[in-house]
Amino acid sequence: MADFDPETFEEEKYTDHFAELQRAYKDAFEAMREDHGSDLIHALDQQVLNESEPHFVDGRFEIELPENPTDRVTAVDADDATLTAALDRYTDEIAARLHSLFGVERPENEA
Amino acid sequence: MSTESQSGDDLRDRITNFLRRNFPQIQMHGGSSSITHLDREEGVVHIQLGGACSGCGISPMTIQAIKSRMVKEIPEIERVEADTGMSAGADGDLGGTGSSSMNATFPGEGDDDGEDDEGPQAPF
Repeated sequence: MADFDPETFEEEKYTDHFAELQRAYKDAFEAMREDHGSDLIHALDQQVLNESEPHFVDGRFEIELPENPTDRVTAVDADDATLTAALDRYTDEIAARLHSLFGVERPENEA
Repeated sequence: MSTESQSGDDLRDRITNFLRRNFPQIQMHGGSSSITHLDREEGVVHIQLGGACSGCGISPMTIQAIKSRMVKEIPEIERVEADTGMSAGADGDLGGTGSSSMNATFPGEGDDDGEDDEGPQAPF
């Protein structure tokens, strides 16, 4: 694993850190699927997270989502509250795994 | 009006080679990538990932990596539209790196029952 450098992460994330990003997304996907079911998580994965982007801001990883993310979900029939809650959990799961993979401690308020 | 040219497919070849070179895991683990549309004048290419990519938990990250890197490494390309077919339809004209271009479906457990859709170059 390439050493994590917050100063160069944005520039190198899809090259030097691609493997870690893949791992984080994959592991989060599997964890979410166990808890929320396959169809919902596949829909979020393929219709929302395909336009997501991880960033490292102020000491923490964040997952930037596209505008109106729940409006993009057409593959499953779920209400907005359900989708929002699942997306929040999903992005938090990805961020947590990125912190773990890169050995970057999450700020206290992120626990 | 399509700006696709049947002659001089250098750009298409470079896109295909870019995908093969930088994202070999797409094919090596049962996925496929296809150029569904190439607008040379606008510099826009549409890429569809199929096969195992359709239900793979890392395809969103792969898509973002393709988008980010292709515009940097192929100057003629200004924008990349890539998906697994779930949110956009292909307009034909396939010509990518894979042997199939299937529309995304929810594949159940079959496509994600192991570690086989992870990238071979990933150190895990």
